[in-house]
Amino acid sequence: MSQNEAFGIADIQHEPDNATRSWRRLLLTNEFGLILLIVAFTAIFAILAPAFLSRFSLFAMGRTMAIDIVIGLSMMVVIVTGGLNLSVGATAVCAVMFAGWLIEAMGLPLPVAILGALAMGAGLGWINGMVIVKSGIHSFIITLATMSIFFGVMIFLTRAEAFRALPPEVAAFGKAKIGGYLSPLLLVTVVVALALAYLYRYTALGRRMLAAGASPAAAELSGIRVNRTFVACHVLSGLLATVAGLMLTARTGAAIPSMAGHLGQDWLLPAFLAPVLGGTLLSGGRVAVAGTFLGGALVTVLSAGLLLMQVGEFWVKAVLGLLLLLAVFADKGRRVWLAKRKMA
Amino acid sequence: MTRLFKQDWFGLLAVVVVACAVITVLKPAFLSSYNLQILLASIAINAMIVFSQAIIIAIGQMNLSIGAIGGLAAISFAGAMEVWGLPVPLAAALGLAIGLGAGLLNGWLVAVSGISAFIITLATLYIFNGITLGITEAQPFYGIAESVKTFGDAILIGPIPMIAMPTVLVIAAMIWMLTRMRIGRHILAVGGNAHAAELGGVSAQRTVIWAHAISGVLAALAGMIVVARLQIGQPTIGNDWLITSFAAPVIGGALLQGGHLSVIGTLLGVVIIAIITQGLVLFGVDPFAMQIALGGLILWAVAIDRTRSWRAERNRVKIA
Repeated sequence: MSQNEAFGIADIQHEPDNATRSWRRLLLTNEFGLILLIVAFTAIFAILAPAFLSRFSLFAMGRTMAIDIVIGLSMMVVIVTGGLNLSVGATAVCAVMFAGWLIEAMGLPLPVAILGALAMGAGLGWINGMVIVKSGIHSFIITLATMSIFFGVMIFLTRAEAFRALPPEVAAFGKAKIGGYLSPLLLVTVVVALALAYLYRYTALGRRMLAAGASPAAAELSGIRVNRTFVACHVLSGLLATVAGLMLTARTGAAIPSMAGHLGQDWLLPAFLAPVLGGTLLSGGRVAVAGTFLGGALVTVLSAGLLLMQVGEFWVKAVLGLLLLLAVFADKGRRVWLAKRKMA
Repeated sequence: MTRLFKQDWFGLLAVVVVACAVITVLKPAFLSSYNLQILLASIAINAMIVFSQAIIIAIGQMNLSIGAIGGLAAISFAGAMEVWGLPVPLAAALGLAIGLGAGLLNGWLVAVSGISAFIITLATLYIFNGITLGITEAQPFYGIAESVKTFGDAILIGPIPMIAMPTVLVIAAMIWMLTRMRIGRHILAVGGNAHAAELGGVSAQRTVIWAHAISGVLAALAGMIVVARLQIGQPTIGNDWLITSFAAPVIGGALLQGGHLSVIGTLLGVVIIAIITQGLVLFGVDPFAMQIALGGLILWAVAIDRTRSWRAERNRVKIA
């Protein structure tokens, strides 16, 4: 995962500082803290339950991690706008079920179905974005409504039946192992993360997204079409949610309407945990691609370890809630501490 | 009479009357006493759920954890009766205390940290829900006291179910609190502009904690009434409260801006949702369609609000 550490460092390089101070800053970044936590928890679990580092466990963790990180990224790209997207789960299920329908009912080949799913996800994201921008109402209300509508229409059309007769390549991709324990799903995630890091650092569109999120009024004055940019953020969110949905389909080998829970609500915790742990500002204007990646990884390590130690599945949920709470408090404390030091 | 027309909620009342009339003409069974009883029971429960959210919307925040609080209170109430054999009043007091405690925790975390209530209550949602599922291992409690079951089934007068009583009391208390009590005015002041309220000598922190405490108690009450209605302590109670809890206030005219709480408007929002749900059932429409209708209603309310403010803007321009 050296690439990710690399853009962890890259993230803070834009503040010109001399070498020692930038080193100290690196130690204070979210990313460094997350790496420390991941290493610490991995060590603890490995000592308490040696099976934690078995090939099977690493493979299973890699698959879960890959999906949770992309779910987190699909939320991160709209948090940039200062808004959110409650419909990520519902969007993903709609897109995946559409792909299943294209394959089973229309007899289309897999690549076409995947493209169809991505187009569907992007389209649903576009609807979210357009309604939010045109109405001027907070994205919470709009995506709460669309989450209900998307999911309702999907259940209505599919009669809540899964598509199980997918081409064997789908399940084979989910089961494939590189070098005995690495899931190729992780590679997809790394490519997605690198593409996003590139988008925000090197492209005009990414820069516009950050500027519009940080201060819509200022961005508008400097010639950025804020509304159009926000719609692009929502389209991107729909696309990424679809990628996560397709990855989940590869893991389970079928397109199942309940794969993200009722209304897709089960995705909300991973969707917010990863970006918040990673240091994405909820007020918008700042992204942390590497942080979100590491945040998602930490969540997976923690839940896999707890499950392995026979902590009941239900209590893991409570622990993850507690983790989110601790993360936001730690972040708050860190910022207060940094502000004080600057004052002094 | 003109005062009545000028009320914000008059349009909603008209929608309710017209919807009732249309459904009755097409399906006379709508006004059967059995049907009205189901309708009123669903309104009673949903109103309690919705007010636990509305009080937080009034303070300019949101509470994602009301369902989790309701579920935790519900299974504590049921579990205390089945496992510990506690008498009903003690079990109910335990449920309320858990709701109060959970609400105080939410409020304290939000007030002390200054972190958005959205994230705090998302975290506590999973904590409370995890505790509920951890305690019950997703199995329901069946040992509900007979008196509770009777309460859940009983009729007050005519088609009005007994479980409407606590809701009526809560609505009266809400109106009293918002218009006559200091805490009610403080909640609206902080929701309108926390900074200005602070300058006016209101402790924003304490007000936020109070609002969350009230929200927790109402969610717990709703959870326990659902136990009486279902006659078992289901750990899934509260899982589907979130959308309704935001839909009704939005339909009632509160677009999450805080500083304003129309008790009647919110109640009419609940009534509209209940009538449409019941109407879909009567017409034999697929129950899945309810999700679509609920989402559609929210967007419709948003559209109404937009046209209203657009018209207000246009009138202002004309006058100028």
